[in-house]
Amino acid sequence: MLPDEPQGLSRRSLLTGAGALGVGAGVVAAAPGAVLVRQAGAEEASPPATASGQAAQPDAVAGYQSLGIEEAAIVEALVAHMWPADDLSPDGVALGIAIFIDRQLAGAYGQGDRLYLSGPFRQGKPEHGYQLACTPEACLKTGLRHLAEISDRRHAAPPDRLTADQLEALLHDISETPPEPGAFDLKAWFNELFYPLFVRGAFADPIYGGNRDKQAWRMIGYPGLPATYTTDMVTWRGRRHPASDTPMSIQDFS
Amino acid sequence: MATRLPEKEIVVIGGGLTAGLVARRLVPAGREVLVLERGPDWSGSAVGELPHQRDELRWSTYRGMTRRENVETYTLRHSPDEEALPMRQLLSFLPGFGVGGAAQHWNGQTWRFSESDYVLRQHLTERYGAKSIPDGMTIQDWGLTYRDLQPYYEEFEALFGIAGKAGNLKGVRQAGGNPFEPWRATEYPLPPLEMSEASQIFKDATGQLGYEAFPLPAANASQPYRNPDGMQLGQCQYCGHCERFTCEANAKATPASLLFPLVRSRPNFELRAGAEVIRLNTTADGTRLESVSYVDVATGQEFIQPGSLFVLCSYTLSNVRLLLLSKIGTPYDPVTRTGTVGKNYCYQVTSGLNMFFPDRYINPFMGAGALGFVIDDFNNDNFDHTGLGFHGGGYISATQTNGRPIDTRRLPPGTPRWGSAWKKANADWYLRSMSISLHGSNYANARNYMDLDPDYKDQWGRPLLRITFDFDENDALMCRFANGRMEEIAAAAGAKIVSKPGVRKSPYDTRQYQSTHNTGGTIMGADPNSSVVSPHLQSWDVENLFISGASVFPQNSGYNPTGPVGALGLRLAGDLLSYLSDPRRLG
Ligand SMILES: Cc1cc2nc3c(=O)[nH]c(=O)nc-3n(C[C@H](O)[C@H](O)[C@H](O)COP(=O)(O)OP(=O)(O)OC[C@H]3O[C@@H](n4cnc5c(N)ncnc54)[C@H](O)[C@@H]3O)c2cc1C
Ligand code: SF4
Repeated sequence: MLPDEPQGLSRRSLLTGAGALGVGAGVVAAAPGAVLVRQAGAEEASPPATASGQAAQPDAVAGYQSLGIEEAAIVEALVAHMWPADDLSPDGVALGIAIFIDRQLAGAYGQGDRLYLSGPFRQGKPEHGYQLACTPEACLKTGLRHLAEISDRRHAAPPDRLTADQLEALLHDISETPPEPGAFDLKAWFNELFYPLFVRGAFADPIYGGNRDKQAWRMIGYPGLPATYTTDMVTWRGRRHPASDTPMSIQDFS
Repeated sequence: MATRLPEKEIVVIGGGLTAGLVARRLVPAGREVLVLERGPDWSGSAVGELPHQRDELRWSTYRGMTRRENVETYTLRHSPDEEALPMRQLLSFLPGFGVGGAAQHWNGQTWRFSESDYVLRQHLTERYGAKSIPDGMTIQDWGLTYRDLQPYYEEFEALFGIAGKAGNLKGVRQAGGNPFEPWRATEYPLPPLEMSEASQIFKDATGQLGYEAFPLPAANASQPYRNPDGMQLGQCQYCGHCERFTCEANAKATPASLLFPLVRSRPNFELRAGAEVIRLNTTADGTRLESVSYVDVATGQEFIQPGSLFVLCSYTLSNVRLLLLSKIGTPYDPVTRTGTVGKNYCYQVTSGLNMFFPDRYINPFMGAGALGFVIDDFNNDNFDHTGLGFHGGGYISATQTNGRPIDTRRLPPGTPRWGSAWKKANADWYLRSMSISLHGSNYANARNYMDLDPDYKDQWGRPLLRITFDFDENDALMCRFANGRMEEIAAAAGAKIVSKPGVRKSPYDTRQYQSTHNTGGTIMGADPNSSVVSPHLQSWDVENLFISGASVFPQNSGYNPTGPVGALGLRLAGDLLSYLSDPRRLG
């Protein structure tokens, strides 16, 4: 590993032979770029990862559909930084957030399936929301490129080679600084495109590839399905509901 | 080439709530009813079945039950001198799509409007003087009073099995109910829902401040229920997947569970799903509707459907757009303030704050669409507005509708947006936080209206509806005032951390869901010069056209709209029968 390699995962480091598996504070992370874990309803067969850091099982279905190698490296670096490995869970790559984002970009959402994409295209106020002529997939990738350029200008390194402090500063900067007139709006890109995908990847049902093994649900205490609480409203009012510790997902019922 | 179909007696445009109310009455009376609904029939698909009904990403985040924006969306500008931009993703409100309409994926918060709402201009003039109403505030009276609607509210609540507690039975104050409730003839059909920890906290806090919190009237059945039509509802499971979803337990009152099944098998009823009405065709002299044109979306074929009576039930926005596209009535002009179609578009002023309790389990995932305690002390004209500088108000409540984790994770102010501290805050507060919210009025403003967009088209090549809207000073002042009351409640509740409520002010932000309570545009009234439909919802321009839904509200109240939409729909059904037996201008 290079001396300034951040803790966490880098696909580039794997590709250059410098990668290491199982990086992180006692948390076993899955192989970068090959991280999709599908529990396939095998709840008993694969014990859930716990806050103490048990690993999720690697999965047969892996690999990116939309993201290229460099793009995936940046996305993995961002999600591993934004959802770091700690005593609550493994990092965002191991949680499947990068795979989630990739699948969303390749799927209906990323292809602008229901987005209104007819012109004319005008510069709106922020309150007008998405006003770009491109699909979310294309827009997300443009943003990754811009991010890489800034990173290169500042640190002579791509985002996935920055230290945690450098990446942190960069993310604050782009998420808070309004764009120069006429420039690509990285602020809106981060806050309205990347960040929501990141959150969805963490908290959506695991059928979409993120929130692997319901670890994010378990972390916050969301029980998921089946959600029939008629008597529980009284029994568990004001008390911790046992289902908070054993969330159930669509996978568990499929 | 469009195919001309055999004439039907009654043609209903749109297959949502009000369409269901009309069909339910006219079909058993032997009348021939055809409902044209542009969206699908959802019954029997994953949307209503476990486990897929509980898919937050699909149904909530990606708005799976609502109309796709690439087919039709709306454009928005904040004032009449700006260029409008399309809402390329519809986030702020969610027009319904498919059999049952928006009432298939609604929450079920079911109110009666205040007695002053129907006579708002008259009421405010009498109490505060005409000068207290700013020139730009184009509020109007409805042309009827609460007394006219009261029996229909009663009927609607019985049909939909509303759970609640009466506050005013025939003028006699009832403990535990809304002290400001307009008088009602009977108790609610079902007892209130079981309250959550959050609701209890709210009730205790408001009690300390001298307010009397009461249960929000809910169309989520608190017990199994059989309505007067013999239709059955199951018991609410507090599943937290109500708004934006259909009810897997058949406990939420919807058109598809209570209204359409009643008439579906009758030979004199037909529901065509996937039928997009694109135009209302008037006779040569423009005084009557002769037919509607629709496209069968499965084949792309265009049809002309003649009829003798037409009911426009396609929700506020489509109601207005279809009139404009069909050149029925005079479009409203915000400069001269003449014309009526598109006039007095109103929305809803909402805000809220979050409270955090380290030692209490709130369990936000156990919720229902209309679960919560409410105070109504600061709604409409329930309090003295002298010297406040605004009119209107809203109800303040602790409703616990869901803890779905993509959207509903409350974090204390100042929490970083990512990293270990963010993760920890999620872990610490998800189960231990709640919110209080304001659901406020939006009074009409001369600059807020709807017309056709000059630039943007839908997939059929027809102009999109353009919405010109912004919150005004009255809204911001009202919101600021109500926020102050919410902060007092939060202080009384003893929350460890309280977030600052935002003020709903200009510019209106299309990126945030605020409510699907769009009103106005085909407003009702006693004077044809200032309204589109009469107090009997009959078009002033086209005698055999009636219009139903919140598009007829002259302005929006500080309540959710569906109570009066339902009551007006039931009253309309009776009027339609009367019209059919003797076609004429009613009343
Ligand atoms: C998420 C959500 C939560 C809500 N919660 C509440 C609540 O708690 N309390 C409350 O009071 N209200 C609530 N509402 C609002 C409530 O759903 C509406 O007030 C109610 O459904 C309006 O009834 P309607 O018949 O006018 O329209 P809808 O029920 O929406 O029906 C209109 C139908 O017309 C169809 N249509 C439109 N245009 C055409 C066309 N050109 N051709 C053919 N068909 C067409 C649509 O597809 C739709 O199915 C909520 C709405 C949403 C979306
Ligand atoms: S909360 Fe109740 S009414 Fe709403 S969807 Fe769930 S079970 Fe149905």
